[in-house]
Amino acid sequence: MIKVSGLVKSFTQGKNITEVLKDVDLKIEEGEFVAIMGPSGSGKSTLLQLLGGLDSPTNGKIEVGGKAISEMSENQRTIFRRKNIGIIFQNYQLLNNLTVEENIAFPLYADGTLDKEKMKEVKELIQAVGLNELNKKQANLLSGGQQQRVAIARSLVNQPNVLLADEPTGNLDRSKAEEILLLLTQFHKKNNQTIIMVTHDIFAAGFADKIILFKDGTIEQIISREDENYAQYLANFMA
Amino acid sequence: MSVKYGIMTLLYDKKCHGYELKIELDQLLGSKGKVNPGQIYTTLDRLIRDELVIPLDIDEQERKLFTLDVSGKTELEEWLLEAVPYHSTKEDFFFKWICARKIDYANESQMLEQQKSMVLKEVMDLTKLKTDLLIKGDENNYLLITGRLLHLEADLNWITQVENRQTKP
Repeated sequence: MIKVSGLVKSFTQGKNITEVLKDVDLKIEEGEFVAIMGPSGSGKSTLLQLLGGLDSPTNGKIEVGGKAISEMSENQRTIFRRKNIGIIFQNYQLLNNLTVEENIAFPLYADGTLDKEKMKEVKELIQAVGLNELNKKQANLLSGGQQQRVAIARSLVNQPNVLLADEPTGNLDRSKAEEILLLLTQFHKKNNQTIIMVTHDIFAAGFADKIILFKDGTIEQIISREDENYAQYLANFMA
Repeated sequence: MSVKYGIMTLLYDKKCHGYELKIELDQLLGSKGKVNPGQIYTTLDRLIRDELVIPLDIDEQERKLFTLDVSGKTELEEWLLEAVPYHSTKEDFFFKWICARKIDYANESQMLEQQKSMVLKEVMDLTKLKTDLLIKGDENNYLLITGRLLHLEADLNWITQVENRQTKP
């Protein structure tokens, strides 16, 4: 379970303090697929970064699987993230000069855990994301959709319990976006991973079980398909 | 396409005779084709019977005039605010929207909002269904649902465009 309480994140520039997250409380159950929607600058990507331990909160507590990552040092957070959290970015963030296979295996290499057995798992992942024939190709020679497939495989290589995706389809056309979302959904159903995906796109959010509507640094509403008026809430929020 | 609501739209704020209704209804339907004059008169008869339209006196050229009753206005406004289910085809919503524009309908924004909500519900339901179908290996139905979702995306974009143009100064 992911539990967030009283989360505040401020950024200081000169004398100006901008509060990007304002007292956010949130619970996400294990195995849930949650989408976070909201206008640009509403704080949704900052929330994702904090959940992934990429940054630390100004105030408040974040627990992932019972561990308070908000109380960890940067080093401890990095180690925790490598073992427990996979992250997918809008701009893929691959190492351009490395091949598909090398990019996917990189987290294992960095951890010093890459062995024959793990390499076999890397190859299985390459197959699962449909990049078998491109495994020796350099990352910067791939299309956007292919690069995102590599990023998904890389995020899964450590078999994390939690997958965070920041606009994973933001740079892709509808049909490529669809392939990526289906891939995420298939992994989610197979491995029962918790997925938290930030998106602007209602068609991407449709893949999630629950949608968190985010506005001005706070959660405006959490809606699930069971809510009788969820479509009305969405329409009002998108107006 | 509803001839009934087309006639009610045209009679919303003016009196018309049968031939005038035929000409204006053809214009309202645009490229959707022409309405048979017989259909106009039988629909008018039904509207009079249901006390939605009031027959008036004849004009100077001896043509019978019609106007919309208060109950007719209420029924038309209720119809405009009813979101169109997707299975009935989006063309029905376009027709409803053009009727709303014709009478400068005050609740157009609400009408668009309700239709948007209807489309969003379809999007959410169909996306879930589509994913389940793919996981079950039902490729054909998955592709059919994908096609419906692409149509819904176009509908949603169109509603957003209308809303954006409404808010332009």
